[in-house]
Amino acid sequence: MTKPQLKRELGLLRATMLGVGGAISAGGFATIGYAAGLAGYAIVPVVLVIGFISLLTMLSYAELGTALPLAGGEYTFSKVAFGGFVSFLTGWFEWLSNMFYAALSAMGFAYAIAYLYPQVNIPFIAVLVVIIFAFVNLKGVKETGTAEAVITIIVLVILGVFVLGGWSYAQGTQVSHPPFPVGIIGIFTAASFLFDLYLGGEAVAASQAEIKNPGRNIPRAIVISGILLIALYTSVIAIAVGVVPPAVLMEQTSPIAFVAEQAMGPVGGILVTIGLAIAGLAATNEAIMAQSRVLYAMGRDGYLPKMLCKIHRHFSTPYIAVVVCAVFTALFTATGLVNFVVYAVNLGFIIGFSIVNLSLIKLRKTAPHLDRPFKVPLYPFMPLAGLATCAFLVFFIEPSVIILGLELSIVAVLVYYIRMVGYHRIRIALGGVSLGLGVFAAFAAYLLGTNSIVLPDVAPSVSTLIFGFLIFISIVEVLGGLLNIMASDK
Amino acid sequence: METRKTLLKIVGLMQTVIGGLSIVFAFLAFYNIFSIQTMLGTTVVDIGFYLWVFVIAGILSTISGLFLIYEQSRVGNHD
Repeated sequence: MTKPQLKRELGLLRATMLGVGGAISAGGFATIGYAAGLAGYAIVPVVLVIGFISLLTMLSYAELGTALPLAGGEYTFSKVAFGGFVSFLTGWFEWLSNMFYAALSAMGFAYAIAYLYPQVNIPFIAVLVVIIFAFVNLKGVKETGTAEAVITIIVLVILGVFVLGGWSYAQGTQVSHPPFPVGIIGIFTAASFLFDLYLGGEAVAASQAEIKNPGRNIPRAIVISGILLIALYTSVIAIAVGVVPPAVLMEQTSPIAFVAEQAMGPVGGILVTIGLAIAGLAATNEAIMAQSRVLYAMGRDGYLPKMLCKIHRHFSTPYIAVVVCAVFTALFTATGLVNFVVYAVNLGFIIGFSIVNLSLIKLRKTAPHLDRPFKVPLYPFMPLAGLATCAFLVFFIEPSVIILGLELSIVAVLVYYIRMVGYHRIRIALGGVSLGLGVFAAFAAYLLGTNSIVLPDVAPSVSTLIFGFLIFISIVEVLGGLLNIMASDK
Repeated sequence: METRKTLLKIVGLMQTVIGGLSIVFAFLAFYNIFSIQTMLGTTVVDIGFYLWVFVIAGILSTISGLFLIYEQSRVGNHD
């Protein structure tokens, strides 16, 4: 009996729509208003420039995606180029970024629905969307790719109507404004904030193992989707700030729907809201698919439990990876923390893009004879430019998000060593940590018992209860530590 | 052997629960639910640090507890 494998079922159209659909997110459109407030009328060139910046890295994705015929995207590239902890860290951030992106897209959908029906529970709707698309992804990639293509085409048509309607409205108005009314810092901050607009092409590379004739279709799908997105976003945002000033746009919860309502009346607002809602569905679908393929690849390579790379006998999908991704995404979506998610998505993908460019440069040196159906032109200037621009944008990300990135890196180190270091040594290390926690809890109880620390606004009876609980924790942690240290090494 | 198995199971479960509660408590404190920040007399600036400490401690305690539960099942299989 043959082992079930991923099937190559996605042609050029569906692969391109995977790239476009993954990038056209309702969450992305919701953030345009805030970015317009940061950059003013310079938002139009900002969107154009970050489009070309991301295209630089997308070309690197195209070369590596065709040269390395394995699922996993950035993770697979860095595994071949660097291996070890670097590839694990890349996969870890790729998974987290896609998880945040799926959550953001589902929330974007829920906000769009809330524009039409304000009484709906936003987190509930968003979680429901995640669950539905988890089932779609469980069923099969063919269904996923077809759903993606249909949804994306509908959204493109609606956004096309928006551009035409807005353009026709803007013809009748005379707007004069300075091109760069805000400082250069505001422009760069807007660029780092909007980086997630173009995150779609990497999904094509991540689904490499399921694309027909990858040597031909992957580069074409990535480049076509990139150019389509640049044209689409630039025209949509040019129309938006042409109809409504950036300062007003910034105050809107659904800026594009607001612009459509101004230009085309209530029908326009409703039409665009429906389009954004559908876009949220497409992006959620793509992000769930991409993150499950990353977990699949990491499980296959032993960085995460092997069960994650189990393929369903009937549907040929990595069903356990899909379920795990859906659970984490649903939990995160339930929090409803939109701004936090936008920053987290951007940081994760900026790190991922940097690693892809580094992997390309490394592999050109260490594996010059690798079969490359597509090669990045103007090497090494293109990947170096992609790398430099990504590194530059990191300086304009919120400091709190950088701290979050460091914390997630620490968790990654823990997970990596738990998987890679011998079982018995981990038990001893964890035993030591538990003993430390136990001693710390005992020390905290001592300080509380001797009134060395006082909890304001806490009744003495509650303070005694906390003291007793700390003693209990201390005993459990010390016992747990001893049991782990004394564990058998067999 | 049976006593050790029971001890592993109980301590493992308690460590896992304590770890989970620690993570939940960290988020309750971070978002100041039930006015926990006021009760602890902490500042908004410090709370990020407490979040970090409680989450890491919680994860470690949970992993340690899960190892003990796994060990308990292995002891059962060997018998």
